[in-house]
Amino acid sequence: MSEDIKWPDNLIPIIEEFRDCFDSMERYELLFDYAKKHPSPLSQDMWDESNQIIGCQSRAHVLCNLDIDGNFIMRGGADAQIVQGLMAITALAVNGMSPEYVSQMSPNYANEMGIQSSLTPSRANGFLNMFRRIQEEARKFL
Amino acid sequence: MSLDLKQIRSEFPILERRLPNGKKLVYFDNAATSQKPKCVISAMSNYYEQYNSNAHRANHTLADEATTALEEARNSIARFFGTSPEQLIYTSGATEAINLVAFSWARANLSENDIVVVTEMEHHADIVPWQQLSKELGIEVRYAPINTETFTLDMDAFSVAVSDSSLVCVVHTSNVLGVRNPIEEIIQISHSSGAKVLLDCAQSASHEKILFDQLGADFVAISAHKMAGPTGIGCLLVKKDAMTQMTPFMTGGSMIRTVTTEGSTFQDGHAMFETGTPRIAEAIGWGAAVEWLNQFEMKEIHSHVNNIASWTASEMRKIPGIKIYGEPERKDSSGAVSFLHESIQSLDLALLLDEGGFAVRTGHHCAQPLMDALNVPSTNRASFWIYNTMDEAEMFVEYLKHIVDRFS
Repeated sequence: MSEDIKWPDNLIPIIEEFRDCFDSMERYELLFDYAKKHPSPLSQDMWDESNQIIGCQSRAHVLCNLDIDGNFIMRGGADAQIVQGLMAITALAVNGMSPEYVSQMSPNYANEMGIQSSLTPSRANGFLNMFRRIQEEARKFL
Repeated sequence: MSLDLKQIRSEFPILERRLPNGKKLVYFDNAATSQKPKCVISAMSNYYEQYNSNAHRANHTLADEATTALEEARNSIARFFGTSPEQLIYTSGATEAINLVAFSWARANLSENDIVVVTEMEHHADIVPWQQLSKELGIEVRYAPINTETFTLDMDAFSVAVSDSSLVCVVHTSNVLGVRNPIEEIIQISHSSGAKVLLDCAQSASHEKILFDQLGADFVAISAHKMAGPTGIGCLLVKKDAMTQMTPFMTGGSMIRTVTTEGSTFQDGHAMFETGTPRIAEAIGWGAAVEWLNQFEMKEIHSHVNNIASWTASEMRKIPGIKIYGEPERKDSSGAVSFLHESIQSLDLALLLDEGGFAVRTGHHCAQPLMDALNVPSTNRASFWIYNTMDEAEMFVEYLKHIVDRFS
């Protein structure tokens, strides 16, 4: 993976917003807000076994494709708002990027946001499972 | 005599623990597993430090001490459950105990036209073995429904369901609803129909006195870890006549009498079903747990957990958007309170409660057919035991109100 590629610049203000939170409850509140602002939600009637993320503690689904310009679009949905919020931020990061860029992105933005530090290992694994699934989907378009 | 909660809590070091965010632990996940008192931890450590050896195999001092401790534990546990040690088969827990009935009794005694009745409120451990056996033998697995208004077993439907059955498998106390099934009536109706009865007492053994010989069930499955004992051990209590109808499940060392190149002969009784090196440390730990529990009246423990559950449920019903699944206010209910909020999803709610230090369970609780009957994918569940206090319950309700105000 290139050392230069981490995550797109539009995540920087979001990371700062989370860093400015007083405590983990405020971070959760912010995740609930982002859950409502998901740029490309996947409606529940589209949830099926083929797009389910295995190893997530709640039901979570992602469906990825390319737009007419060949840019990556990730649609996602989860029943838990905390998971949906993480998906929304991930969608803000990956949507419109090239599949190659997505496949090389780092998931460490969750750590930078202070989210991962408030997650237990099994919950952090849930996020990483989602992120890896998106990267697998991106690699299919290479 | 009322419970001395200060003294009891002092025997559970984990209850003093603080979580990584500095919050003091409030442990309300007792239906999943209970915490262990120091005497149980010490008994297991002492075995490993002082007389670790394999039981039933050698004549040296350590082996003799280990064998004696293992069998003394069996005596203590059997006495606790009102039966003789010959009727107690050590297993890894209630799940293995139920599987033992499926593999050792049902496989040898049931065939294509037989019917096994289970209830909609069973744990997966009491459903999947029967589904698997159905594939193998062609038996029918029949589900006795619950009344979703009262959250109790529909006894009229149950009576019809068992009328031509061979085996009835019922949970004593639901791990989700906290409902206590009328097992005395269930045993009577089932036996009248000629069916044997298997009770899953994993949840009830921690707060209700189970006297196996008096109860009259043919099989009772129990897990140690929900009643102050260690994980990895439990037992199947078996009536004498039912044990004579059982054939070996797992085979190998310990359970044999002779092995030649022509074949093998097996031990009698419980020894036939305890294959390989026993769970020695775990049995010793469980023995210490029942001796610790012997200082209390089980009625006192039940009353304590029922009071906390009842108060908590009645206060939670006042919180906008909270729905309780079960009737924790009933005097015979256990210490489990299952609930959902109408807009805060169960995983979110569990994570937010954890932020406050409150350990509750979330998910389908290994009871998906019950979730289907209730038409919900999951619930949150707070479950109480002997060391929980009303202060903790009050803090929980206040914190839950705060969460609902802030996040709904």
